[in-house]
Amino acid sequence: MWPGIFRLIVAACLLPMGLFGAAENSVLITNVTIHPVTAPEIQNGSVLVIDGKIAELGTSIAAREGARTVDGRGLHLYPGLINAATNVGLSEISSLRDTVDLDEIGPFNPELRAQIAYNPSSEHIAVTRASGITAVISLPGSGASGFGLASQGPGTIITGQGALMHLEGWTWEEAAVKPSAVVDMMFPQIQTVPRQIASFLGTEPRGYTELEKEYKQRLEQLSDFVERARRYEKAKAAGGPEFRADAKLEAMIPVIDGKTPLFVRAGKERAIKDAVAFADKQKVKIIIADPREIGSTGPLLKSHNIPVVLGKTFQLPLRDDDPYDAPYTLPNDFFKAGVKICFGTFDVEFARNVPFEAAQAAAFGLPRDEALKGLTINSAQILGVGDQLGSIERGKVADLILTDGDPLEAKTNIKQMFIAGREVSLESRHTREWEKWEKR
Amino acid sequence: MKHVYVLAVAALSAYAADLPTPIAIRDARVVTVSGAEIPKGAVLLRGGLIQDVGPNVSIPAGAWVIDGTGLTVYPGFIDALSTWGIPGAAEPAGGGRPAGAPGPAPVTPSPQTPPAQAQAPRSHGPEDRPQTYSFERAADLVSPTDRRLEAARAAGFTTAATFPNRGIFEGLGAMVNLAGERSRDMVIAEPIGQQIVFRTGGFFSGFPNSLMGNIAYVRQLYLDLDHYKQAHQIYDAHVSGTRRPEYDHDLEGLARSPRVLLPAMEAQQIDRILSFGPELKTPFIVYGLHEAYRRIDELKRANVPVLVSLKWPEKPKDQDPADVPNYRELEMWDRAPGVPGLLAKAQVKFGFYSDRVDTAPDLKKALKKAVDGGLSRADAIRALTLSVAEMYGLSDRLGSIDKGKIANLVVMKGDAFDDKTTVEYVFIDGVQFKPSKETQKGPEKKEGATTGPQKPERGIN
Repeated sequence: MWPGIFRLIVAACLLPMGLFGAAENSVLITNVTIHPVTAPEIQNGSVLVIDGKIAELGTSIAAREGARTVDGRGLHLYPGLINAATNVGLSEISSLRDTVDLDEIGPFNPELRAQIAYNPSSEHIAVTRASGITAVISLPGSGASGFGLASQGPGTIITGQGALMHLEGWTWEEAAVKPSAVVDMMFPQIQTVPRQIASFLGTEPRGYTELEKEYKQRLEQLSDFVERARRYEKAKAAGGPEFRADAKLEAMIPVIDGKTPLFVRAGKERAIKDAVAFADKQKVKIIIADPREIGSTGPLLKSHNIPVVLGKTFQLPLRDDDPYDAPYTLPNDFFKAGVKICFGTFDVEFARNVPFEAAQAAAFGLPRDEALKGLTINSAQILGVGDQLGSIERGKVADLILTDGDPLEAKTNIKQMFIAGREVSLESRHTREWEKWEKR
Repeated sequence: MKHVYVLAVAALSAYAADLPTPIAIRDARVVTVSGAEIPKGAVLLRGGLIQDVGPNVSIPAGAWVIDGTGLTVYPGFIDALSTWGIPGAAEPAGGGRPAGAPGPAPVTPSPQTPPAQAQAPRSHGPEDRPQTYSFERAADLVSPTDRRLEAARAAGFTTAATFPNRGIFEGLGAMVNLAGERSRDMVIAEPIGQQIVFRTGGFFSGFPNSLMGNIAYVRQLYLDLDHYKQAHQIYDAHVSGTRRPEYDHDLEGLARSPRVLLPAMEAQQIDRILSFGPELKTPFIVYGLHEAYRRIDELKRANVPVLVSLKWPEKPKDQDPADVPNYRELEMWDRAPGVPGLLAKAQVKFGFYSDRVDTAPDLKKALKKAVDGGLSRADAIRALTLSVAEMYGLSDRLGSIDKGKIANLVVMKGDAFDDKTTVEYVFIDGVQFKPSKETQKGPEKKEGATTGPQKPERGIN
């Protein structure tokens, strides 16, 4: 009862500010330790946000009319974190089919757009925000590079367009930062089903000879599709009555023009190598997503300037005899090889854990700064929004988190969050549950 | 088909014609197994039995005399757990195929098998008696026309403890000779045991769908058996005035069996079976044992006879080169053939079983692997003969070259387990078989015939 009334009073007090000139996306945050990520930290600094953009940062910034002041004494200011691989907004309860909008059938679905399937009322949005995440990539295909729906059998190769979404907004249009940030793709793979699993499924495991043949056919199928898109683009430019619009091929034009990267899930060394060879041949931009091993691919990725979106570090090693910490050290292996890395989780309900996935890599050798970059500026650059997101710099979108410590530490609390300069609630299903049970 | 029939008839008539004459093998090295080896001696066979053996055997006039110079006579080898002779068992049983799905040809139901049992409906618990063929008798199923028998003989096997081949309770085994004019000629003793295979019927076929379900079910059936036996004892003592206990087909199968064979391939499975086996209150034999190099002491302490599979684990064919085998697999491929040697050293009673190794060259190779793995030749021969006979309580008629035993012999040129050694004669029930060179070499390998992936292992563990 009391908290409810209290909230009403607070709301009533804030109301006049909105009415009398203080724009809700303009704010001055003072007395904080600023971690711009791209520049050295600033002690006791201030950041001025005007109309959702960072206008100024430094040690002595005067209060501005129209921008309310937030005193961040003793707190830290970081750019909002980015989870570079999720299905947030596309799946609510994975076991309820009606709440899941993922994994269309058919080999090539580049025309599918995750952004319009994004549910801005998803409970997962607020939950994900709780650990400091302000933007995510929402992918139309589930699973990571291994066993996932998209990876099953003669399944989908191109699953659709992944959207970069702000974790705030009344509608999906408002939430979208970059509606078609990547074209999501499951690289064909040779998936030998372990004998025990085959036995469980009541099938016989298939031999490598057969699977390899199938794999090569699928690679060919993929190349054919890209080449068709290329012919389509020419035909479109030529125009004429014979040209017929085709949504699938149309959606591939930004890919073959090198404007939108293919987000290629490739787990094993072979898949990574073949993906790079494919990108070379077709002259398309790719991002390697959820590699599970580095093998000899480090120099290859570096020389081709191909970035990597890492999956969860908290998982079992790829092979039985790998060291227990192989998934923890993998990010550092890529970093040491000179590959640009960032982090994703490839799921919905654990999307909020991405800072801790990166933190685990930091605990196992990845420099702490690089772990943070892998959640901020690197992610932004890899996703093609390096000029807008990922750091605290003049002119950038004001996605900011005010914390009482390092956001990679689990004990750190996110005190306040701003998305495009607008303060957003940190209340979520989890905090509501917590409050409820506190009263018991 | 007709040709096969004609050939079979021809073979059988030759078999019949042989019977009356006594056969003597003289001046041969005789490995009796039960006693000392006779460097130069003779064996006399008559009426299907060994009539005499020793350095000085008087050979009756009119006997067929085989000059055994350069030959070695061994007791016929015994496959200690087999499906040889069971029609339709040549194809391995799928581990987890849904009931009713096409799979290995079912074993021909015996006359007592109610048809309803052959196509069991989805089971919900132990009360539905899922995958229970405990009553099925190998002795009723066995047939001399199984084409694998010739290959087995060519590798020196004359006898097999053969078992029906479906279900969790596979049925009652029989000790059979691997030749005979008719099925009934083959059977030496039955029932000799109940084989248990842990398996699921696939995801939708019902209980049991897990290993724990399998074990719980086996335990329950033996609990039922206990009760069943008691009820019948009480009834037998007081027939008048006691309500008669029901007749239970499945439990009768268990009750008849003098022992139970339980699977355990890996170390943990061995632990499990050594603790589970005694619960059944029936003598048991453990089969599998490829990872027993980790459990030799435990096996010795348990004092349980074991059967080692001759299907040595090896690198699967047609494997993705990117799928690197793990250390444990590598170790198992390397060390499994050393298990028999370790068992012998620890004086654990053991035998070998063919486990779907069905061609003569493969059987020979598999046995040689055990010898190369550290098993002495004498111990190897014992494990193939007398030890198995003892395990099944049949050492009074099988397993060694002694007066009065069944005339099952294998005569080799050279020592068994040598590469160049050939099987010259096989005697089963005193009848001679001369394995063809082709059979000894094995069937011609067809292009691509062996490149397929490995079939799923039988059962679950």
